[in-house]
Amino acid sequence: MKILRRKILKKVQRELPWINHILSDEKVAGDLNPSAPNLEIHVRDGSPCLICRGSRMLCGKTRCPAVTKLYSFLRVKNLVNSDKIFGSSPPGVFVGRIGYPYVYAGPLVPPVLGDTSLFDTPEKWVGKTIEEIIDFRTGLIRGKFLVNVKKPLSGERFLDRTLEIALSRDSVNTEVLFKRKPSGSFLFDDEVQPMGPSAPLLKIEVENPKVDRRIEKAHGDSDLRAEEAILDLYKGEVPVSRIQRAFSAGAFGLKRQRRLVPTRWSITAVDSSISRRLIEDDVKDKPVISEYRVYSFNYLGNRFVILAMPSKWRYEWIEAWYPGTLWNPQGGSIAIGSDWESYQGRTAYASLGGCYYAVRLAVAEALSRERRQAGVVAMREIHPSFIMPLGVWINRECVREALKQEGEKFDTLSEALTYVSSKFSISIDEWIKNSALLKDALYQERITKYLH
Amino acid sequence: MFRMKISDSKTFKSVLTAISAIVDEATFNIGPDGIKLRAMDPSRVAMVDFEMRRTSFDEYEVEDESKVCINLSELLKLLKRAGKDDVVEVSLDKESGRFMVTMRGRYTRTFNMPTLEVSEEEVPEPRITFNVRVTLTTSDLQDVLKDAALVSDNVRIEANEEDMVMVAKGDIAGAKIEIKKGSDALISIEAKEPSKATFSLSYLSEIVNAASDTSDIVTLEFSTDMPIRLDFRQRYDGKLSYLLAPRIEVE
Repeated sequence: MKILRRKILKKVQRELPWINHILSDEKVAGDLNPSAPNLEIHVRDGSPCLICRGSRMLCGKTRCPAVTKLYSFLRVKNLVNSDKIFGSSPPGVFVGRIGYPYVYAGPLVPPVLGDTSLFDTPEKWVGKTIEEIIDFRTGLIRGKFLVNVKKPLSGERFLDRTLEIALSRDSVNTEVLFKRKPSGSFLFDDEVQPMGPSAPLLKIEVENPKVDRRIEKAHGDSDLRAEEAILDLYKGEVPVSRIQRAFSAGAFGLKRQRRLVPTRWSITAVDSSISRRLIEDDVKDKPVISEYRVYSFNYLGNRFVILAMPSKWRYEWIEAWYPGTLWNPQGGSIAIGSDWESYQGRTAYASLGGCYYAVRLAVAEALSRERRQAGVVAMREIHPSFIMPLGVWINRECVREALKQEGEKFDTLSEALTYVSSKFSISIDEWIKNSALLKDALYQERITKYLH
Repeated sequence: MFRMKISDSKTFKSVLTAISAIVDEATFNIGPDGIKLRAMDPSRVAMVDFEMRRTSFDEYEVEDESKVCINLSELLKLLKRAGKDDVVEVSLDKESGRFMVTMRGRYTRTFNMPTLEVSEEEVPEPRITFNVRVTLTTSDLQDVLKDAALVSDNVRIEANEEDMVMVAKGDIAGAKIEIKKGSDALISIEAKEPSKATFSLSYLSEIVNAASDTSDIVTLEFSTDMPIRLDFRQRYDGKLSYLLAPRIEVE
């Protein structure tokens, strides 16, 4: 028996050179044994993971992100060791973006039955450990089919089922038959978001989903523009992730304009259109706050600080990556990026991408709730203990969390900045240097000074 | 109540565009002598001072002083439809309270649009002593600002009786632009004392670009660490000037 185990260990070590240093005993080897077939482990050319294999922490993070993801991936893979699964979709759907307009889309189904809604509801994830969140992501098996997003044929069976799932209020029991066993390839990498195994669909059956009535109404109205539908649903207190899911599946809009939207873009589209409308309708014409305020929240190696200043609406998002963090793997110094908009808004896509809009939504909804306007600088300091990207939701939800708290109030900008400084490791001068709004507040004089 | 007619629709469009760089919802004072507007931008860094006297119009009928607030980008959308030979007439409809825009050319169209709640904020005229006065062509000023914007977000303007120098310092590169007395780019320069002040290039460029269609000649007035006034000479009877607050230099 012992000999047999040793054999397994050796075999696994051979097949998984990336991590053979952690395959010290037979139990781990059995757990990770990839010869449960179809597992290919890939590494990007030039990736530090190629040399490191999870042992030397070349990426500078406190823990190997690739091994952490691989553990989760293998656990899930072992649960779906067949070409079909019966599980409850949270509900969740995925629309890819590679090959646009021909992309892979389909339902997300975990090999679990019951209320799985948490798997695809990032609004409820703040406070979870990184392992739990990776498990939510990896636990969702992607059944996929190829579709032209611009011409989604109604009556196409996979598309119809996917849409049904996207419109559902609760988790939906779904039986999926794949063309082959899901699993395929795992990218051993420190930079990509965790994702579950996937396989092409052969057949799919959905157990009568209960539709969210608000969403169904918007879906049934083919004269309602997609942007209006999104805003109506938001005002009707439908969670953002649910609106985004239905929008992604092409559920809204004027009849002829309906189309699938890649998940990644659908998130940004929903964040940006809701926040834009909140700013125009419920923020810009409201009274200006009467003091400086600072809100903060820390989560998984991320420190968020939000400074609200008494001025007309303007907004800036600044991210600072410590050396060894995601977008700054090799750098010896801190990398800082920022984007901002004036009262008139932006005319170009923010260089920092989706997170800019996700945070703008969190900020706009807090101001509109209070019926006030302000100039807001939202800052995020990312430490190496934040080992992998988890999606833009983390920005939206953490800033929402921060803005729910009481916050500290100050009479002057310099007092507020002293307090901001106490929350960060990076010096306040560095933040100011990279902030158009802070520089403006500190160095730009106002005409009003000369009006007397 | 008012009604005014202008055959030079191009000028009318371009001056409204110039104002819209500062305010989108513009409250005009309309009186028997002409129309006026003085307003600050939302962040109160810049101000526009505009006047168009009754003689600039082909017809001008105003009974008494009134105020009307218009969304300029909406109005400009309509005015874009006016061809160069069209005569534009604007008025306030007594019954509906709506703003009427009529264009008469080969045929006649009348648009109506809502007026907005007027701003009660009276912006007084700032009292500032300017020690330097420089006149140059608008297109030269546009070029100078483009040069400076290549390297920085701010520009320091220095002047004495002999020349004007603009200095831009960026993180990576820097620029120095000199305009000397007697050069083609400088129409006139007067200085009671040498002065220098720093300004945001995004504001300066936006103002100059917006006003450039209305004017070929601009006069700059400033003093050390005080606001700058940009007065664009207009082709009609009236004025268009801007005031921009300085930035405090930190090194």
